[in-house]
Amino acid sequence: MRTSHPLIAVSMAIVGFRRWAQALSKGQGSGISALLSGSRAASGAAKGNLPGPYPKTPEERAAAAKKYNLTAADYQPFPDQGLGYGDYPKLPDRSQHERDPWYDWDHPDLRRNWGEPIHWDFDAYIRNRVDTSPTVLSWSSMCKQLFGFIGFMLFMFYLGEKFPCYQPIAPKQYPYNDLYLEKGGDPEKQPEAVKHYEI
Amino acid sequence: MYPTSLVLSSTLLMILIFLITPVLNTLSSKPLPQNWSSTHVKSAVKMSFFTSLIPLFIFFNNGTETIVSSFTWMDLATFDINISLKFDIYSIVFTPVALYVTWSILEFASWYMHSDPAMNRFFKYLLIFLIAMITLVTANNMFQLFIGWEGVGIMSFLLIGWWHARADANTAALQAVLYNRIGDIGLIIAMAWIATNLNSWEMHQIFLFSNNMDLTLPLLGLILAAAGKSAQFGLHPWLPSAMEGPTPVSALLHSSTMVVAGIFLMVRMSPLLETNPLALTLCLCLGALTTLFTAICALTQNDIKKIIAFSTSSQLGLMMVTIGLNQPQLAFLHICTHAFFKAMLFLCSGSIIHSLNDEQDIRKMGGMHRLTPFTSSSMTLGSLALTGTPFLAGFFSKDAIIEALNNSYLNAWALLITLLATSLTAVYSLRVIFFVSMGNPRFPSLSPINENNPLVINPIKRLAFGSIVAGLLICSNISLLKTPVMTMPFFAKTAAIVVTLMGFLVALELALMTSKQAFITPSLNTHRFSNLLAFYPNIMHRTSPANSLTFGQTIATQVMDLSWLEKSGPKLMISLNTALASTVSNAQKGAVKTYLTSLLLTLVLTTLIFNF
Repeated sequence: MRTSHPLIAVSMAIVGFRRWAQALSKGQGSGISALLSGSRAASGAAKGNLPGPYPKTPEERAAAAKKYNLTAADYQPFPDQGLGYGDYPKLPDRSQHERDPWYDWDHPDLRRNWGEPIHWDFDAYIRNRVDTSPTVLSWSSMCKQLFGFIGFMLFMFYLGEKFPCYQPIAPKQYPYNDLYLEKGGDPEKQPEAVKHYEI
Repeated sequence: MYPTSLVLSSTLLMILIFLITPVLNTLSSKPLPQNWSSTHVKSAVKMSFFTSLIPLFIFFNNGTETIVSSFTWMDLATFDINISLKFDIYSIVFTPVALYVTWSILEFASWYMHSDPAMNRFFKYLLIFLIAMITLVTANNMFQLFIGWEGVGIMSFLLIGWWHARADANTAALQAVLYNRIGDIGLIIAMAWIATNLNSWEMHQIFLFSNNMDLTLPLLGLILAAAGKSAQFGLHPWLPSAMEGPTPVSALLHSSTMVVAGIFLMVRMSPLLETNPLALTLCLCLGALTTLFTAICALTQNDIKKIIAFSTSSQLGLMMVTIGLNQPQLAFLHICTHAFFKAMLFLCSGSIIHSLNDEQDIRKMGGMHRLTPFTSSSMTLGSLALTGTPFLAGFFSKDAIIEALNNSYLNAWALLITLLATSLTAVYSLRVIFFVSMGNPRFPSLSPINENNPLVINPIKRLAFGSIVAGLLICSNISLLKTPVMTMPFFAKTAAIVVTLMGFLVALELALMTSKQAFITPSLNTHRFSNLLAFYPNIMHRTSPANSLTFGQTIATQVMDLSWLEKSGPKLMISLNTALASTVSNAQKGAVKTYLTSLLLTLVLTTLIFNF
């Protein structure tokens, strides 16, 4: 018996270690054990709240609508084309600019209440980014006016390049016999005299 | 060793020390004194201004210019980067102007922001901005210029988004950063080209060695950089949006100093621009388009700060036109004179806004001439200087530019629309004065509206003084490198003032017509086009972010998995293998004995043939 003392101690140590590891993996500790395991009570998504596969039956649709805090009529999943959307709802593509600025939202800067379903592209629709609010004119009218203006300006600049100010009325007159030497004339030969004026 | 150049470099280095010391003081753990902003920061800037007058007067007297090179940051075999400060005409004249304007704005800001709990931090940001701006203008190499460039961009972001809990201010700050970033791409392209082809980032070396080279690519990069920083057409929406920041920020950054950094870069790089007609034409056309477009937009805005912002943008376009006319010194002159009257216009508007309990809509102002006579008179003075009234500050630069324009042999359309924009400047200036100062008040009576605070009046007075004499002072003391044309037809000489007067008269006529309603419903098409900035922000700020964000989101969430797991990974294996297997198995009909017989026959035949 005396010789098995180390064996008993080792086995007890191993059992203790296993129990500690089990306690840690269960989480819901406090203080240092929470720190070590990285999990705390009431954190993370519960099993039923995570997105799931595309709902095929009406019961699945109803359960998914309930999960996402939508009514069954409002709930519309993405088409099942194998792109990985699952049962996530397809919300209308409206940005946060369109929401009432004067209503008392839970998150005033995001104009969102607690528990509201989040759009798939919510980060593109925050108030600093894409604005989908209705414009004064139709999109085509705006594009026509802007690009028409730019096109007109570019065309007029092109014409202005072709016809600059002060159109010359006579060929330009150069000194030194029409720059005879500078244009590579023979220095030995006497150039013909060029007279640009008459007094 | 000449004493004048020593005095020059000593005073200019002292200026940098005066400005950096308060910023370094904020790094200690001791709390700042109560009036740190007025006692330390404003005094530092005021001292720096008076110190900067010494090199200014030495330069006016002797024409002394200095280059100070110190601390080597990086020293490769043939490429080195030093701290190298260039004190030539541009930096020696611009530094006192910037310091004078900043001193006035800081004094104003100590009144405007007095109820802000983080006022010390505000002043610190403004001071860091000023240091970055001075780094930019005194830079003798591209690297230092880039440090100043990015510095002013970052401080602009922090200051526009000063009221960071306001979503519109955040959006405006983001817009400023993103549009400036697009310009920075151009600057980096230019720097990379210069580093690889000219083997140095020092300005004098760039100018010396670029003589016979084709500089189109770096010049296009520099033009893109200037377009981003100076809000030229295409990269302009950030400047009116930047009015979300406090008025001192608009006055300092977005009218006098930061936005001229792009034009300043063009002025610095003008020896490179001179030889490239494509770059000059591009500058001319871009500047002309900007000045007309933003002047059209300014006609129908209702926010006083936005009108002044568009006015700034229009003047920046005019400066770009001047660069395109190959007159960098005239552009620089306009930068200096513009700083005075534009900052004064912003300070006056800030004073009026605060007096009217933060009302910024000009339709709800009116009659301010009787309530705040000094402020409205200064505003009128600033507007007159802006439109180029003879012998005020703006006249010397603007009239010289228009004269150079009329005497140049360049793009006729660009010249025509610049003249039209000059006329529109008078129109929107009169509109502001008409709505703000003239007529009767259109707001409920508020009290007290008074002008008895010297913190407001003294800065405006100082800038008013500058708006009157600055043009004359600078012009009488510098000698222009390019001879201006002195003899021209009468109409060419008087074009600027005739066009401005016509603009004033038309605007006055239209404004006085508003006392009676002419039509039952007004014609809205042109008004909408102008008021909504030709729909440029509506179109651009919806399409490109939407496209890039959804593109990024799709790639990150779907395309990665789709490509690696389905198109190129296991599912591809499955589809290939099943295709192969079904093809091969369909081809096999299972007639094994026939195949063996044909194999044997072929073997026998080949053996017979090759043996005989």
